[in-house]
Amino acid sequence: MTAVAPLFSDPYRQRFAEFMVRRREPDAIAKLRRAAFDRFDKGGLPTRQQEAWRLVDLSALQAMTWQRPGDAPVDTGILPTLDQTLAHRLVFVNGRFAPGLSRLRDLPSQTLVASLGQALLTHPELIEPHLDRLPGLKNHPFADLNTAFWEDGALIYLPRGTVVETPIHLIFHTTGDALAVHPRLLLVMEAQTQATVVVEYGGQGHYLNGPMAELALDNGAVLDYHQIQEEAPGAFHLGGIRLRQERASQAHLHLISLGGQLVRTDLEALLNGENANCHLNGLTLARDQQFSDIHVRVEHAQPHGISEQLFKSVLEDKAHTVFDGMIHVRQHAQKTDARQTSRNLLLSKQAHAQANPRLEILADDVKCGHGSSTGFLDPDAEFYLRTRGIPIGQARALLVHAFANDNLSRIRLTPLRERLARVLAGRLALDILDEEKEP
Amino acid sequence: MLEIRNLHVTVEGREILKGIDLAIQPGETHAIMGPNGSGKSTLANVIAGREGYTVTQGEILFEGKNLLEMSPENRACEGLFLAFQYPVEIPGVANLYFLKAAVNAVRKYRGEPPVDAMDFWELVHERMELVKMDDSMLKRSVNEGFSGGEKKRNEVFQMAVLQPRFAVMDETDSGLDIDALKVVADGVNALRNPERGFLVITHYQRLLDYIVPDQVHVLFNGKIARSGGKELALELEEQGYALYNEEPGRARRAAA
Repeated sequence: MTAVAPLFSDPYRQRFAEFMVRRREPDAIAKLRRAAFDRFDKGGLPTRQQEAWRLVDLSALQAMTWQRPGDAPVDTGILPTLDQTLAHRLVFVNGRFAPGLSRLRDLPSQTLVASLGQALLTHPELIEPHLDRLPGLKNHPFADLNTAFWEDGALIYLPRGTVVETPIHLIFHTTGDALAVHPRLLLVMEAQTQATVVVEYGGQGHYLNGPMAELALDNGAVLDYHQIQEEAPGAFHLGGIRLRQERASQAHLHLISLGGQLVRTDLEALLNGENANCHLNGLTLARDQQFSDIHVRVEHAQPHGISEQLFKSVLEDKAHTVFDGMIHVRQHAQKTDARQTSRNLLLSKQAHAQANPRLEILADDVKCGHGSSTGFLDPDAEFYLRTRGIPIGQARALLVHAFANDNLSRIRLTPLRERLARVLAGRLALDILDEEKEP
Repeated sequence: MLEIRNLHVTVEGREILKGIDLAIQPGETHAIMGPNGSGKSTLANVIAGREGYTVTQGEILFEGKNLLEMSPENRACEGLFLAFQYPVEIPGVANLYFLKAAVNAVRKYRGEPPVDAMDFWELVHERMELVKMDDSMLKRSVNEGFSGGEKKRNEVFQMAVLQPRFAVMDETDSGLDIDALKVVADGVNALRNPERGFLVITHYQRLLDYIVPDQVHVLFNGKIARSGGKELALELEEQGYALYNEEPGRARRAAA
């Protein structure tokens, strides 16, 4: 059985050799790529014999021969917007920066929001010390594939004390069949900086998106990060996020998963400084035969850290979701306050949700808790609404909306929150969703 | 306006209601009293249309229409209201939003356009005063974290906004202190009029001091054991249900 995996490395080897021939980049980066590819080559694509991939059926992915993407025309009308003409907007088509679709506004001095591919030529000194340097996702095949094969992506660099108030909107659009793209995001926030970032993944066709984001927050940095996964119905999305937080930094990560055929996101957060604050807010809407899997590891390395995880999924039809969440508190990380909640709402008897909350606590003076629940809509609540005249379909939609809105209401970026509320309402065929306002 | 004829109901194969006959005219308030397990809440739930109750015999007519063939929402749209013994908490659905959805659902059923936002706001504020409700309760999720008294006031408030033609109050007094009981009763009394009917279900006579019924029925072991005027409630308060429990024959004699 285990002999199967290495076979699939062969086309990857060939692809990697071809890829490297054309690269012109600093040796240090080429070295990272080779090291990552060697790791991938050794292990191959994950198999279900590996615990972390036990529930993931990659056979459809393994059967594909992936092509290196070419350029493709994109109808700009299908790209998501934030309704904010002021947003910094970087569009990547098939993994490459599309300057014609992008719009960069004025930024504070020395701040950089740019194509990572271009920045590698112009500002290698900003990239080399940070790329692939964060801990976490070691020996993760898709993280390694990304490090080996990334062509482009975004670099966001905020020098000490910089506040970028305008949201930075990164759109990764993939279009075509049998393509594999590996966009990279490198976010470096020096001390006392602040930024709001929205990353959107979408596309058309049957492709593999294997994105990787690295988020480094120095002392006191404040980040609002949103990842909206709305890949094409036939797409594979296998991505990773590394987050490292130094002293008193605050990270709010919102992970919204809507699309794709097979979706897996691995997130590893390291709270590496005292009083770091990490809030993870995840919502998955899955239907048809979608498989959506999220693996989270939050590691408290220093005292007085706070982490909070709220992961929910709403499942229809034969959808299958997995949440695997680990809180690890090191011995030194006293006074840690770590919470994790995972809730799944099943709208179909054929849907399947799995939750695997885990705690590893080595410190003795901490507050840690986790809770997990999976269930159908509350029949008493449904009956209650109906006795007030609300038709059954609307009653159910209201209850689902209430369940999911708990996550959406945590998104502070109003145009994004409202857009997601409309997406949710569209899924639920709910026609009266205006937020109640007093006249 | 509400007519119950020979109603037999089973729950999980067990017969709970064993032939109920009851007729309530517009403008009347009837009280159903009975000990625990006599079938009071079953009657309320069957009228409202909750699942899990099987009507094996009999019928319920509301304004001449067969109520048992209607969905719970259509019963509500026809003008029926159930004030729950245990109002359900619905996290994430704001009270005001829920009420507006309910009002508009009823209007849609009647072929009317959605309620005007200003009209609705005025109606809501007028009705809130009726049950001395705080503004903040509108923004909170339906019943979530409400005290027992707040939940019951919220039921009466919903009734006041929806203005049903007939309301069933299922143990609206349970869990209330005397002040809350008065507030709730005042709210109900303010809604009494010559067109509207009420069925007040209670274990204790206390509520009937404040909501004075036209008729009182004693429900015992799935049947109406006795019917009478409001004085019957006082008699029950003094003698208790033990009379029915111990000696059914004596109860019959007392009724004669």
